[in-house]
Amino acid sequence: MRDLIEKYAGKLARDRSAAPGRIGFAANDDAMVEGGASDLSRLSSDVLSRLSCLGMLAAVPSLPFPEYLVRRAAADVAALVPLDTETRTFLHDIPFVRKEELRADPAGRIASLLSARKGVVAEGIGIVAAGPVTLEQAYIHYSSVFHACYVKYLLDALRDGFRLPGEAEAFRAFREERLPAPSAEGLAFRPGPLGAPEEVLAEIRDVGRYTVERGLVDSFFGNISYRVGDTIYISQTAASLDELSGCVDPVPMDNRSTAGITASSELLAHRRIYEATGATAVLHGHPKFAVAMSMLCDEAGCPVKDCWKDCLRVRMLGDTPVVAGEIGAGGLAVRVPPVIGAPGKAIVYGHGVFAVGRDGFEEAFRSMVAVENRCREEYFRRLDARRGPGQSKSE
Amino acid sequence: MLPRENILVVDLTSGRTRREEIPPELLHAYLGGRGLGVRLLRGRHTLPPYDPAMPLIFATGPLCGTAAPTSARLSVVSRSPLTGTVYDCSAGGRFAWRLRASGLLAVLVEGRSPRPVALAITSAGEEIVPADALWGMEIGDTVRALSSRGSVAAIGPAGENGVLFANVMMGEGNAVGRGGLGAVMGSKNLKAVAVDGDRRTPVADRDRLDRARADAMRLFRASPVIFGELGIAAFGTPALVDLMRQRRMAPTENFRRTVFEESSAYSGPAIRAAYGARKDGCFGCPIQCKKSGTDGRHLPEYETVSHFGALNGISDIHAIVRSNDVCNATGMDTISAAATLSAWGEARGRFPSPDEVVPLLRDIAARRGEGGLLAEGSRRVAEALGRPGLSMTVKSLELPAYDPRGAYGMALAYCTSNRGGCHLRAYPISHEILRKPVASDRFSFSGKARMIKIAEDVNAAIDSLVACKFAFFGASLEEYAELLSGATGGHHTPQDLKAIGERVCLTERFYNAENGFARADDGLPERFFTEPGSSGEGIEVPPIDRARFEEELTKYYRIRGLADDGSFPDPAFLSGQP
Ligand code: SF4
Repeated sequence: MRDLIEKYAGKLARDRSAAPGRIGFAANDDAMVEGGASDLSRLSSDVLSRLSCLGMLAAVPSLPFPEYLVRRAAADVAALVPLDTETRTFLHDIPFVRKEELRADPAGRIASLLSARKGVVAEGIGIVAAGPVTLEQAYIHYSSVFHACYVKYLLDALRDGFRLPGEAEAFRAFREERLPAPSAEGLAFRPGPLGAPEEVLAEIRDVGRYTVERGLVDSFFGNISYRVGDTIYISQTAASLDELSGCVDPVPMDNRSTAGITASSELLAHRRIYEATGATAVLHGHPKFAVAMSMLCDEAGCPVKDCWKDCLRVRMLGDTPVVAGEIGAGGLAVRVPPVIGAPGKAIVYGHGVFAVGRDGFEEAFRSMVAVENRCREEYFRRLDARRGPGQSKSE
Repeated sequence: MLPRENILVVDLTSGRTRREEIPPELLHAYLGGRGLGVRLLRGRHTLPPYDPAMPLIFATGPLCGTAAPTSARLSVVSRSPLTGTVYDCSAGGRFAWRLRASGLLAVLVEGRSPRPVALAITSAGEEIVPADALWGMEIGDTVRALSSRGSVAAIGPAGENGVLFANVMMGEGNAVGRGGLGAVMGSKNLKAVAVDGDRRTPVADRDRLDRARADAMRLFRASPVIFGELGIAAFGTPALVDLMRQRRMAPTENFRRTVFEESSAYSGPAIRAAYGARKDGCFGCPIQCKKSGTDGRHLPEYETVSHFGALNGISDIHAIVRSNDVCNATGMDTISAAATLSAWGEARGRFPSPDEVVPLLRDIAARRGEGGLLAEGSRRVAEALGRPGLSMTVKSLELPAYDPRGAYGMALAYCTSNRGGCHLRAYPISHEILRKPVASDRFSFSGKARMIKIAEDVNAAIDSLVACKFAFFGASLEEYAELLSGATGGHHTPQDLKAIGERVCLTERFYNAENGFARADDGLPERFFTEPGSSGEGIEVPPIDRARFEEELTKYYRIRGLADDGSFPDPAFLSGQP
């Protein structure tokens, strides 16, 4: 267990979702094991001892966005409801506890919320996430909550401005110091077409890792594939893109074998993209500004309520089409393939970016970088337009 | 608190029936299905399985009859003549739904009728009707004969003749398989139960239920195992054939090997090509993982194709489908039947040929010729032949088609399962192989004791709701606790449900302990510790490390609050339970 605690603490530090040194784990094998910052690991173990669960993680997020969301919430609200696909599908909502509720029995209060949800935001503490079956799950749930809060905060700040003392300054520091633009510079891609399975697997493994390292996806999300002849090599479901060794399934295009039942839930989308475009590589990530921007729609008087799945329009963010559609067996696999061919990229409402490469991953990777950077620029352009470019005080 | 519910108690000896309210505190503590059935056995759990006073309980759960997905199911609970353990088995079909619609959550049958009878239940009442004319009939004819009385659960000749792995079959083709509860029903001279309720099940908070249903459905769609194009909705559970081949853990020739080179002959795609494989499944289930042929016959599940296939060295898909047909018609568990033939085959030095299997199965159902011995199941067969080591069982229950050398959590879970060598109690295949909800290292014991304990509790709760385990390749107790809250108007959390599951698991273990089961019974056949599986393609399949296995088993006991020998430190455990 100790090695696993170290592994996931390392990942949280590397993907910069948790503040350095402010990560605490607990795992309950036949005895409780704690690791990381002592106050947070103690809290984790206190919470864990009240639940039938294997692992627990409490960490201070690297950005104050989850905390701000709690403090900005109305007094009668008890849970954050981000509208991105990750939350809709897996988290449903993110309960939170305010500081004053944590005075008497913080572990008890947090445990009671975690008895029904995967992660919570505790004001003044951070994110606490449970791993019912494995310690990795606690890491994944932390990641999901962090991602959902990040996206929601971007959208809320754009819509409502800054409201808390120090919020505008913190956001400016985030924008200026903490937010390097993703780029493909310095990365080596194998030029296509690739043929030998070992070469394909090695390239998928490397590009998966690049996607995480360059901040285009939190490690657990996203998927990646490469087509050789009638075989799609695709990352497995619940695989971390930065750990794809042994986690890639070869799946025949005609489904004559079902060994790929463990392949990514987006297998159908990948296959249809290959059929529709003749591409050889497909990359799918969840870059946060693209996810956020895809959820902004100017259409007035539109009757559609559940835009994320029911919108039939193809909207454009710059030169990138945006379509709606549920993941897996939902509508995404139907709506992405027809629009992705010419631009080589598409955004799914509230979910993420698909990008294709005609003969290798470099084109796909560069497209995804470009989409995210473009969405970022557009986001800040709108934010500046809303607030006036020089403004930095709290509103 | 859960709404009030009724049970029908039927005494076949006297012919008397009565409907009574189930004490609310029992519903609160055990929900329904498996949990309620296990609780209702209390006090009679040490009786021999064929003692007339041993109850046979059919119990649905609080979600049955609502829009909660995969919940039109019931559990049948009694003591198994095959294993001697407390036993429950769940099945879908219209029966559970009609039973709830007749105003009943459960039926408890006790006593023994002097002559064959059937039980007919409607919303208005129930009657015990003579069934002499049905005795000896196969399942299909029995169901047809009773079709005017609603949905039918029946035994076939195997149950009448006391085959130790006889099923209760639901009229729509679903089996209460495993454990020989059909033989318990046969010992009571009860040929069938027909139910035709027509009441609507009340739902306390329909909006809440609908929201939770939408949440669960989104997760089903996001799960490649459920609705993926290679998943069980598309290909049925035979979708696992290719995967188990690829993972080198398909039990072959009585577990002597773990790869059967010809398994693609009966894979999901091969069955579809040969038989059409239309969608079919339990009533009201959106997944519809069962498949039927274009001629309407029910096509075999993964365990069935793999055990009539690889385990017996047979690749003839038509022979496999015919074997499944015979088991369904005579009412026998396919896993135990195929595994018993395989152990017998190894003992006599030759596995049965494709042409021999169907006549052998008919002999078993009739207890004719060699069938008389084979009807006793693999442990008794292997012992009778002087080769006890060839029985691939845990607590006399034949192991299903996941070789324990290929998944160490599965190895442990076979042993800790209260009903013997069953994959469904903790179902670690879900994370060790199918990567749901996350992947775990299948060749490691690390952390598995706690994972198995938690999963056993979760699954006991699922069996008490009663929902289908396959739903949990996508959803979790989070969504099902919400569905329950919507159905009942109460506030149920996953943690509450796990606590109920824990109570059920411990109660079962306590019953087993009182029937003499101890740590020595929580062990795997020797073969798995001494012989390797079929290594190759970069995958090593060594024998299981016994010391590590035993260490993890001890951890499991500690996590469960048991002594290191697996016994209960508190002999009064049961009296402390509701
Ligand atoms: S998933 Fe399959 S076994 Fe489960 S309820 Fe649905 S049809 Fe029945």
